[in-house]
Amino acid sequence: MSILIDRSTRIICQGITGRQGTFHSERALASGTQIVGGVRQGKGGAMHLGVPVFDSVAEAMDETQANASVIFVPPANAAEAIIEAVDAKVGLVVCVTERIPVLDMVRVRSYMAKSETVLVGPNSPGVAVPGLGTLGIMPQGIFLPGKIGIVSRSSTLTYEAVDQTTRNGLGQSSCVGIGADPVGGISVSQCLELFMEDEQTKGIVLIGEVGGTAEENAATFLSSLDNTKPVVAYIAGQTVQEGRRMGHAGTIIHYGMGTARTKIDALREAGVSVVFSPVDIGSTMAKCLGQQISAPRDTGVEY
Amino acid sequence: MYLFEYQAKALMRDWGIPVLEGAVATSEQRALDAARELGEGPWVVKAQIHAGGRAKGCVEGESNLSGIEFSDTVLQVGRAAAGMLGAHLATPQTMGKGETINAVYIEPEIKSSVQLFVAILIDGQRGEPVCLASMRGGSQVERDVSDDPKTLVRANLGAGSQIAAEPGLEIASQLGLRPAVKVGFAQLIQQLHALFMACDLSLIEINPLAIRDNDSLVALDARVTVDDNALFRQPKLAALASRAEVSKAEEVAAKHGFNFIQFDGDIGTFSSGAGLAMATLDALSHLGGRPANFLDVPPVLEVSRVKEAFILVLSDPKLRCLLVNVFGAGIMRCDTIADGLLLANLEQPVTVPVVMRLAGTNAPLATSRLERSGLSIQFVSDLASGAAAAVDRRAPPASFAGSESLIGQLTRRLFRTRTGRGL
Repeated sequence: MSILIDRSTRIICQGITGRQGTFHSERALASGTQIVGGVRQGKGGAMHLGVPVFDSVAEAMDETQANASVIFVPPANAAEAIIEAVDAKVGLVVCVTERIPVLDMVRVRSYMAKSETVLVGPNSPGVAVPGLGTLGIMPQGIFLPGKIGIVSRSSTLTYEAVDQTTRNGLGQSSCVGIGADPVGGISVSQCLELFMEDEQTKGIVLIGEVGGTAEENAATFLSSLDNTKPVVAYIAGQTVQEGRRMGHAGTIIHYGMGTARTKIDALREAGVSVVFSPVDIGSTMAKCLGQQISAPRDTGVEY
Repeated sequence: MYLFEYQAKALMRDWGIPVLEGAVATSEQRALDAARELGEGPWVVKAQIHAGGRAKGCVEGESNLSGIEFSDTVLQVGRAAAGMLGAHLATPQTMGKGETINAVYIEPEIKSSVQLFVAILIDGQRGEPVCLASMRGGSQVERDVSDDPKTLVRANLGAGSQIAAEPGLEIASQLGLRPAVKVGFAQLIQQLHALFMACDLSLIEINPLAIRDNDSLVALDARVTVDDNALFRQPKLAALASRAEVSKAEEVAAKHGFNFIQFDGDIGTFSSGAGLAMATLDALSHLGGRPANFLDVPPVLEVSRVKEAFILVLSDPKLRCLLVNVFGAGIMRCDTIADGLLLANLEQPVTVPVVMRLAGTNAPLATSRLERSGLSIQFVSDLASGAAAAVDRRAPPASFAGSESLIGQLTRRLFRTRTGRGL
């Protein structure tokens, strides 16, 4: 199995006619992802990339029986696009848009409080399940169906983790980039929980970065479990020093959390194997699993 | 985006938040005039920089001068202003030499026995604004809170654009404020919150907030940062953006939308994606290399922007090696990177060794194009070998020739970040 998307996932793209929407939808379609329609107000009735375009998400949902949406709408309108998808009861919304004002996301989070929609992002590279497809902007051709779940706050480092677990033959069960904005949808801990429950996933890679407390919260979550799968983590920004800052509130609010040191310590305490270079993610995971499962195999994946 | 204290106070004044009458001065003469206009003294002369901790700071070359000077006479005001203006101020919240003082703010000094700390910022986990407050305001507030967390009162404010008086009253009760002060305090919290929401702030902090003899409140200092992502709808605030806080190169980078920070190392870096760019710096620093910059080029289709990014890095005179670390994905393709470097080379010839790690979309195409170009480039397959090669290939500087290992061990250079990732 996989997390967040499966064979029944039918996707619409909000902002499909824009440059980014077109570029990534075209690639997703070519790789077999089930994109069944697009939304662009004022262009309803047209066809784009071989799929129908609708004026609204609600209309697109009615006509296509979609259950997921990927958003490539400019930052000023992205919050409204998410809310439109929530109103239309889309099950999974992946928001790729970056640079959304944080108070817009405060409004969205509050609006979603009672909704069942799962939001990934904003500023997310998306969700990918090898063999099934990709929602978002993750590159094609680097994935291998397999047993590693990847959850990441950093887009490009997600690809590093995918690349390494493909090269050493472990492959990926699912891969989720949750974005690194201060206020977003699904959390690292929630993704870990999904991976813990997913039978196909035998090990988990967590890629964090300095700032916020997502990794500390994840450590708390992992510590609360009786049995966990092996987790390998890398925290980007270990050598970043705090720079010019304003006032005291930013430090006080986290009480000694939010730095690479506090994150690494918390994760180690929770039994996570923390690596100091992204290069070691794949080999460390192989080592962790080697004790439980057979040795990594060579699949000879190339680019 | 940071506001100076005087800008933050002007904004607060517009929103009815009590601040003192003050005046900005950029010359000693103006400071003297301002002091006389403000009354009979005593006065406070305050350095205007984009950082806190000024009272604990030290003005460069003036060992007796901090960034906050209390002055009993007009003469002292003039002396403080003359010492501060044009000088650097280093405080516990700045890096390196500190920030240049281009203006001072002069206010009457007021006496108050009680000084509070109050702030509103985003609680990322809850996804809504939170108010923090303490009875022990002042620059030691962080230490006080870590020593005794109970001194901090914390209240989430919800997602609405306005709040009722209750949250403020509740905070006031928890702080133990006297009844005479409570109502004014609750109103202040409402005003701060309304300003925070209407102006897309990411932080508003008053430290200290003074309780005066007549039980009224007044903000003695003010810290405001504005959400950069919302500047498009805050034109008045965007117009306050100070170019003084960034270097020339950082200004060029901002124009092109690059996430760029200059350091004083000698290994130039080029990456796409903030995480990968950070990992590149981490890898170099672990091997004793000193990065000359942080550069995260957002995914682009246009070769011209990639070219500009390379020129930006290559034009740094300190550069002794360039490390390119790109994972081509989505819209960002490795051949765009290759073409950008080749075009940059025409305008800003590459004179330092280049180490490239290209992976992902069109990496082989990019490599073959670069190999045909005649540029001397070492290709590596992963970040670790790239970082090692960059530290190795960095030509030793004349004065340190032969002591490469010493240089290697010399520094894990500290650097600041403006990546906006919540630091």
